[in-house]
Amino acid sequence: MIHPHTPEPIQYIAEDGQPVQALPERFTPDLLRGLHHDMLRAREFDRKLITLLRQGRTTFYAQSSGMEATQVGLARSLQAGHDWVWPYYRDHTLALSMGMPMFDLLSQCLGTNSDSCRGRQMPHHFASAALKFVSISSSIASQVPPAAGSAMAQKYLGSDEITVCTFGDGATSEGDWHAGMNMAGTAKAPCLFVCENNQWAISTGVQQQTASETIHVKARAYGMPGYYVDGNDIVAVMEVCAHAAAGVRAGDGPALVECLTYRVGSHSNADADAEKQYRTRDEVNLWLARDPILRVEKLLEHLGHPVSTEERSEIITQTHREVDQDVIRAEASGQPDWRIMFEDVYADLPSHLREQAAALRAEQEGVRA
Amino acid sequence: MTATQEKRDTAETGNGETRTINLIQAVTEALAEELERDRRVVLFGEDVGARGGVFMATAGLQARFGKERVFDTPLSEASIVGAAVGMAARGLRPVAEIQFADYMGPGFDQIISQAAKLRYRSGGQFTCPLVIRTPSGGGVKGGHHHSQSPESYYTHTPGLKVVMPSTPYDAKGLLKAAIRGDDPVIFFEPKRLYRAAKGEVPDHDYTVRIGEAAVRREGTDLSLIGYGGVMPDVERAAAALAAEGVSAEVIDLRSLLPWDQGTVVRSVQKTGRAVLVSEAPRTSNFMGEVAYVIQEQAFDTLRAPVGQVAGFDTPYPYVQDKVYLPGPNRILAACVKALNY
Ligand SMILES: Cc1ncc(C[n+]2csc(CCOP(=O)(O)OP(=O)(O)O)c2C)c(N)n1
Repeated sequence: MIHPHTPEPIQYIAEDGQPVQALPERFTPDLLRGLHHDMLRAREFDRKLITLLRQGRTTFYAQSSGMEATQVGLARSLQAGHDWVWPYYRDHTLALSMGMPMFDLLSQCLGTNSDSCRGRQMPHHFASAALKFVSISSSIASQVPPAAGSAMAQKYLGSDEITVCTFGDGATSEGDWHAGMNMAGTAKAPCLFVCENNQWAISTGVQQQTASETIHVKARAYGMPGYYVDGNDIVAVMEVCAHAAAGVRAGDGPALVECLTYRVGSHSNADADAEKQYRTRDEVNLWLARDPILRVEKLLEHLGHPVSTEERSEIITQTHREVDQDVIRAEASGQPDWRIMFEDVYADLPSHLREQAAALRAEQEGVRA
Repeated sequence: MTATQEKRDTAETGNGETRTINLIQAVTEALAEELERDRRVVLFGEDVGARGGVFMATAGLQARFGKERVFDTPLSEASIVGAAVGMAARGLRPVAEIQFADYMGPGFDQIISQAAKLRYRSGGQFTCPLVIRTPSGGGVKGGHHHSQSPESYYTHTPGLKVVMPSTPYDAKGLLKAAIRGDDPVIFFEPKRLYRAAKGEVPDHDYTVRIGEAAVRREGTDLSLIGYGGVMPDVERAAAALAAEGVSAEVIDLRSLLPWDQGTVVRSVQKTGRAVLVSEAPRTSNFMGEVAYVIQEQAFDTLRAPVGQVAGFDTPYPYVQDKVYLPGPNRILAACVKALNY
């Protein structure tokens, strides 16, 4: 039985890969291998994107290394393409494991013509209407009230979709976060709020972020259950998210899940050298030992179904190959030209924008306006 | 900067020595010197402490002045600005950093409802001497949430002062004036000039008065007026005009609220032509106000309609970052149009 407001994070697999409680039946070796595959693939995607950054082919990247269990586990607890997602900028692993093609992610990161968002947003801010994965806003916590509204609409429309809203621990300090939680709580809206508590908001640690001991306790104030889960334990994340989502779907109102995890790398490429300014090597090492991918590997070994070295390197090679091919294909589609700037500002192009576009065309094409 | 300008701005107390620094160093120096000078000055915001700010403007200040005076806050602009209002009312001199001007949004209500109006609505019984520093503007491939120029939201708010320097000298002098002043000041720092703008600052203490423009280049044929991140391109355009025998006067507004109407109007009365340059979207752009005052006060001397070069009325695009910004060519084209009118 899964309970809200546990004092300790809910856990199924210990750091050394041993189960700490009986694994639910559905976690067959096959399923666990699938989860392992998705997590490793996401990590290798991270690695490749950092290479692309170094090569100057993209300009921004926010890694999710260390947070794979949280994002893959959440993805697997949702009905992809049915439920709505209001994500935040660190969620490419969530997107990948909900089925967003790598090509689409890469196209957005590279700002090419193949980017469905048309090169308008900074890298790593993808969207997919097909997946109901709403366009990411860099502005922290600004997605939380809209997520509440999205869920309210679902209730109004009598739909069985739910809305999922993700954010970091830092986001829970913003007024928007509290406003959105309060709104969803009073409306009993079918919204699953998921805090990917990776313990740092750039250089600000979670203890400096909030005086409450954990994030999940805040759910009480908004009249919803708050679940506390080991975010590096994929079985625990899936069990808790599935349980919480089922309650939300059944009309119990919103829920908050706090996944306690860790961002192993830097906040973004912008603070790649700043790590040492705010956290210790010991802390990073402690969390490296809690690595979610290693943990599943150890569990599979314990269950007598180890992932062989060949299988592991096959996933890695395959991911690298896929990224390389997709990058070439995305880049071959070219860069969007100046015209895209004026489109989608409004449903119809108003006259002042038509004039500005004509002036820019004259400038770009060297013709007289 | 002209010699007369420099004299007017500067409290001449030192030995006349100068050093060349960049704009972000100027900001850091101003903060350090004011922290040193006045115990009431406190500095805070997201990541300003151990990290030293995302652009490193506050690097080393926590180590030097302690965690009581230089500290990180929770991730909440409403809290940062609102707390600054409370501290200011209580007698401190808070200097808050908002990580990007694009993220002032969550603090907007505190700025316009509290900071801007405390003095007025209390009949002067309470005051709000705070400074909000924030990097603004484009040119860094940041997409819309890291590139906007929201100054006009704030110039539309009575009770605020709004400043945007483009040189290290002005950044340091204006920031010190802002910290020492008794009003809330929104201090925009054009982020693409943080390292690109280098210039001399005197070794001695000085301030630059808020509300005065700087004449960067004197001229007789045309007045080129700008502020912030566009200034290097404005000066490039003026140099290109000079090479063609056209004498452009270049004015850097530096302060937008209050702004130096006198310097602008006198210049246009002399040259008969004005081209206004900014990178914020055209509609309701602050320069619309400048154009209005020029036509009101210098209409008789105008030999061409006032030209305006601004950003487009679109959200700031990522891929087309460079096309969006008014570079020297777009500025020159507006000058040529005014000259050939
Ligand atoms: C309103 C707003 N303020 C500041 C920022 C700058 N900023 C970008 S990411 C970040 C830290 C976010 O931390 P958290 O919510 O914990 O997510 P994490 O990056 O740790 O996953 C900050 C302060 C922003 N994007 N939006």
